Amino acid sequence: MRKVAITHVAQSSGVESRESLMDFTYRVNKEILDKAGLKREDVGCIIAGAADIFHSGLSCANAFDWDGIGAFLKEGSRAEESAMSFIYGCMRIMSGYYDTVLVTALVKGSENPDNDPITSFYGDPFYLRPLGVNESSVAALQMRQYMERYRVTEEQCAKVVVKNLGNALRNPCADRKRRISIEDVMRSERVYDPLKALECAPKSDGVVAVLLASESRAKKLTKKPVWLAGYGCSMDHFNPGDRNLLNGHLRIAAEKAYRAAGIRDPRKRIHVAEVCEPYAFQELLWCEQLGFCNEGKGGHMIDSGMTEMDGELPVNPSGGVLATNPYPARGLYRIAEAALQVKGEAGEHQVGRKVKTALAHSTHGFGGQCHSVVILSA
Amino acid sequence: MGKAIAIIGTGQTRHGRRSDVCYPDLVREAVTAALEDAGITLKDVDGVVLGTMPSMMEGVSSTHFYFAEAMGSIGKPVMKVETCGSTGQSIAHCGFYWVASGMADIVLVVGSEKMSEGDGQATMTTVFDPFFQRTFAAGAPGVFTMQSMEWMYRFKIPEEKGRDAAALISVSNHDNAMDNPYAHIRTRVTMDDVKNARVITYPVRLLDVCPASDGACAVIFATREKAKKICKKPAWIKGLGFRGEEFFYGESDKSIWMSATEAAKEAYRHAGIRNPLKELDVAEVYNPFTYQEMIFYECFGFCPRGEAPDYVLKGTFMKDGKLPCCPSGGTLCTNPIGATGLVRLAEAALQVTGKAGERQVEGARLALSHAMGGVDQFNAVTIVGSKL
Repeated sequence: MRKVAITHVAQSSGVESRESLMDFTYRVNKEILDKAGLKREDVGCIIAGAADIFHSGLSCANAFDWDGIGAFLKEGSRAEESAMSFIYGCMRIMSGYYDTVLVTALVKGSENPDNDPITSFYGDPFYLRPLGVNESSVAALQMRQYMERYRVTEEQCAKVVVKNLGNALRNPCADRKRRISIEDVMRSERVYDPLKALECAPKSDGVVAVLLASESRAKKLTKKPVWLAGYGCSMDHFNPGDRNLLNGHLRIAAEKAYRAAGIRDPRKRIHVAEVCEPYAFQELLWCEQLGFCNEGKGGHMIDSGMTEMDGELPVNPSGGVLATNPYPARGLYRIAEAALQVKGEAGEHQVGRKVKTALAHSTHGFGGQCHSVVILSA
Repeated sequence: MGKAIAIIGTGQTRHGRRSDVCYPDLVREAVTAALEDAGITLKDVDGVVLGTMPSMMEGVSSTHFYFAEAMGSIGKPVMKVETCGSTGQSIAHCGFYWVASGMADIVLVVGSEKMSEGDGQATMTTVFDPFFQRTFAAGAPGVFTMQSMEWMYRFKIPEEKGRDAAALISVSNHDNAMDNPYAHIRTRVTMDDVKNARVITYPVRLLDVCPASDGACAVIFATREKAKKICKKPAWIKGLGFRGEEFFYGESDKSIWMSATEAAKEAYRHAGIRNPLKELDVAEVYNPFTYQEMIFYECFGFCPRGEAPDYVLKGTFMKDGKLPCCPSGGTLCTNPIGATGLVRLAEAALQVTGKAGERQVEGARLALSHAMGGVDQFNAVTIVGSKL
């Protein structure tokens, strides 16, 4: 199997952009190619990460995206969720057919409806959708179950928001950033009890591009290549009622990724993690399942300060999805941020400790139906 | 090709109006058939690739969630790949690269569509951007007719000749579909039937156009080692290519159609093909419209530019011709869009492994499969062979 490196990263700000989606996309793509000193003709293959009509008002989103990502008459494809696009790009390099692949994920959340009506279309039209099931309402059920079973408190969940929006203050690309208190979170509107408005991710614009290269090309393109060390993905059952919402498939995805990367004790070996937490409590739950703390100890973990920017295992130094949520692109944002941490190029939100190995996580679907875990190393 | 990757099993549903099954059951039917064909179980599958057309088609978005059980993906890594009408070929390419990457030994690729539950033409109108093009777009036929007219005008093809050739394509595709138990439309038509059929968008008439079908297809890819162990006669991937052009319809020359030309060129380069008309034994060209099929022949180098109608009228692409095209009856007789490109590949694989039954082209060893997507924007080609 050939090694794959991330050589360069470019990302837009998450706040509402006044550019058209095509210009918005083009600018970030141009930026990454300029950074790498390449022209689009030099790139072997281009993979887009974009979801269709509900996230863009266009069916077959790749059709509109094609010009902006620089893929005119180039080999390429599109995966619907951007962590999948990333790994598809890696496959193209590992196969030996390509030496460079550009992966670009894009969305303008500001131009389409709220997340809840969009995610309600994950549900089938007969059983789930008529009940008003969407990603937030399932997350609320999951949160209630999590608090009841493990005696995690609402305040502990709220602390995740305080931490992540605080971290976002140091990230120039973050959409929502502010210094807030636990009380602010507790006082915000209960949108789906016990979920409060500030505990739910916003809806953001975002274009993020990652340049991948084979070992020999990577060494020529950059002094600091970031290597793909492990990948795992697992799909759970469709109907939320058929699943254990507190013990889903993240463990399985993480085990696969850790095995590939030769990691036995993730808490020690992972130096920073970018976790996909569209709902605050999910950061605690996902961290348990990633093996950062024991089962049911997510509340203790956040209390201990372990996941703070200067903690033993910082989680979401970028502010995470709670700060910036360009829905289909958010997985690639996690990967890009993890890569920046390994490179030591995260700027003001570079974590205190030295980062040799970083974890990026992506999830979508009701209550985390599908999880992807990517391990990157120096 | 650098790495030897094989197709070890294919499965299709009976295509047509499938009100007897729900959408996930339709997917399961194809998956079960492919697993049986390969003689493996879901336990042997390392990963699953899914593709369907846009969410609007059946009103469910991100169908990989809905089909989690049906496509046998619980506990497995999943890829959801979509490129509009060329989805069926793009998911096959993903399956190929997944196995070629060394990250998986066996990958199941699934494509599906249940068009009877939605409004296909309304959905396709949403492929156009909301500001400039959508207001005057009229689904697929409007665009493909414009292209056909542009092509005939450019190469000075007399209208009568174009009409005759297109009618013959319709007749021979319908004849071929009679041999295909999975095909949606299975009726014989005459040249007069086609020429007198109701006009959809002039000069395209009802029998120049594909139906809207329910159907699914599954294809299983494996490494050389696994294929040799599991399968007596696999189909080997010899070449593949995908190309896309500008989004705005008016920005490119659709009578030359660079994406189709370049996608085929890339696949030929992999497969070492110099003279496709001579070297290929059969082609499954994506032909939702008769006139368009002729443009593909020219782009793929089966004949010189502007001469496709002559070649068609000579019978070059008939079942007993020099290069039989669409012995399955093609997209013209069966079109469950998200599955269609994969059906083309499955049919090509059946041909080179001698498993195509009544529609078998004798001695087929090298076959081309193809799909087109977007507003005449994307083209994908995959070539399979009987020998490694």
